[in-house]
Amino acid sequence: MDISGADLVRAFALLGAGIAMGLGAIGPGVGEGYAAGRACEAIGRNPREAGLLTRTMLVGQAVSESTGIYSLVVALLLIFVV
Amino acid sequence: MQEITYLPQWIFNIGGFQVTLNVLTLVNSWMIMGVIILFGFLATRKTKLVPNPLQSVAELIVSTFDALVFDALELPNSRRYFPMICGLFLFLWISNIWGIIPFLSEPTKDLNTPLSLGLLGFVVAHYSGIKAHGIKKYVSQYFQPFIFMLPLNLIGELAKVVSISFRLYGNIMGGSIIILVVSHLVYSLVLPPFLNAFFGLFVGTIQAFVFTMLTLVYISVQVK
Amino acid sequence: MLPDAETMVSVASYVGAGLAVGFGAIGAAVGEGYIAGFANSACSARPDKAPDFLKTMLIGQAVAESTAIFALVVAMLLIFMEFPPQYITAVGLVAAGYCMGLGAIGSGIGSGFPAAKACEGMARQPRMTGALTNTMILGAAVCQSQGIYSLVVALMMMFLDFGDRALNPNAAALLGAGLSTGLAAIGAGMGQGMIAGATCEGISRQPMSQAKATGTMLVSQAVTETPSIFGLVVSVLLIFRVWPADTSIVTMAALISAGLCQGLGGIGPGIGNGITGEYALRWVSRNDEAVGALTRTMIIGQAVAQSTVIYAMVIALVLIFVV
Repeated sequence: MDISGADLVRAFALLGAGIAMGLGAIGPGVGEGYAAGRACEAIGRNPREAGLLTRTMLVGQAVSESTGIYSLVVALLLIFVV
Repeated sequence: MQEITYLPQWIFNIGGFQVTLNVLTLVNSWMIMGVIILFGFLATRKTKLVPNPLQSVAELIVSTFDALVFDALELPNSRRYFPMICGLFLFLWISNIWGIIPFLSEPTKDLNTPLSLGLLGFVVAHYSGIKAHGIKKYVSQYFQPFIFMLPLNLIGELAKVVSISFRLYGNIMGGSIIILVVSHLVYSLVLPPFLNAFFGLFVGTIQAFVFTMLTLVYISVQVK
Repeated sequence: MLPDAETMVSVASYVGAGLAVGFGAIGAAVGEGYIAGFANSACSARPDKAPDFLKTMLIGQAVAESTAIFALVVAMLLIFMEFPPQYITAVGLVAAGYCMGLGAIGSGIGSGFPAAKACEGMARQPRMTGALTNTMILGAAVCQSQGIYSLVVALMMMFLDFGDRALNPNAAALLGAGLSTGLAAIGAGMGQGMIAGATCEGISRQPMSQAKATGTMLVSQAVTETPSIFGLVVSVLLIFRVWPADTSIVTMAALISAGLCQGLGGIGPGIGNGITGEYALRWVSRNDEAVGALTRTMIIGQAVAQSTVIYAMVIALVLIFVV
């Protein structure tokens, strides 16, 4: 196995990309799930407002998504730019 | 086992560009479209007040989606987008189930199909957003709530397309891979029909529904 | 530098066996303890029905045990079977070990929830004992599918002949494949378990809602299955694609990273989908005219929560095919 300096850097950049996206996927997954769960509860209490509640849920989830997008961007940077 | 990712292709040149067509996907897509058109024709031929079986299936599908679309959008948008949403669901549903028929494969197994349908939804949603609000208000929504959120909002919009397309692709492709691999392991005894039923019918229907609902929701979010 | 291949294969098989049973014991133990705790509190609430609770507890614990038994079987196979003396087989054995072990965690913990809630529900509503037992078994059985995916991948890595492949980077591909399915199974297993648990609770509170609740439970669990399916897809891609000999550490890192990315990426969305389904099913039971709106919002919410596992799959595919 030949390891050169530049290769080592690239290898660890790729590992970093995987770890970044992998761990970064955990948080938004749980958070958005919780938001959706509470939205379901709210609809259970008040089914006629389903449209409004769904839209609010989506807005909240989109904000929660932002850290996931940060991870995606960093992962792509590590793969293609570094 | 290379046949998992292998699709027969036609490759030819048009004016300097190399065009690659996936034969299986195209042929199966056209067959599915033919089936749906035939169904539509036969179900509405002699509409009676007391429907025959074909007509009642069509009525069931139309009324379900009617309720869903009218719930999410108001007139006149709901009238405008209803055929698209209903057609999208029908095409995806039949495509996902298509693999159960021997010797035929689902066109949604090829990334091109879900990705193009996702882009379709994206273009429709943003076009209707621009038409509904005017271009200034449409552009200003990307600067909410802070001005430096612009790149994040842009990436978020693109990520929506990626996510619905890849979800559909991953589920259907994954299902067919699992069926292939497990059939290989158990020498095609006992298990494959149940797996086919689960992944083809159950997961296929749900994923078609999820894709359609998400497209509908994205359109309604843009139009509000 | 390295000892000969036969020694390495023996070493790997023992390490793999240890990892398999070691990780595999975690989930089942936690799940079974959870069941026993709830069974006890049910007995204290209704001592006259104690035999029912004991029976349900044992059935539930048996279902939760099954993935741990798969892990034990894999460990036994690793210890006692003869494997071809090749370096790449050695790597495959270790990967098979931790794949099965990690995969058993989620299913074990997940299967604990429905049985526990079923016991609690039987104390609340003894009339529903039969229905609760059936729902518990159905819900827990779906949780087991994650363990089964891990078992399939582990068996593939143990028994397929990799002899004609170059050591690097195919060894890294196998390591990545084990991570991908093993880790992703944790989230989805727990999530599906939470959903089944809430269904049992809901049915016990509102026996009339059984049909709708069971239907919604199956739909919800099917959507929650997606992260582990993606994990399986990436694993299969890594196992079956034969990479040409390439001793650069970059390719090896890329392949391990792809598996790690997809595996870890499946944990969060799986649990999140479980939380969503849990709340949704609780309210399906309480308000079953709203089933349509609830199911729709639940599916949309779960689908959006899965976005990050989709990003993870995109990164994993990029790492596999582009790098």
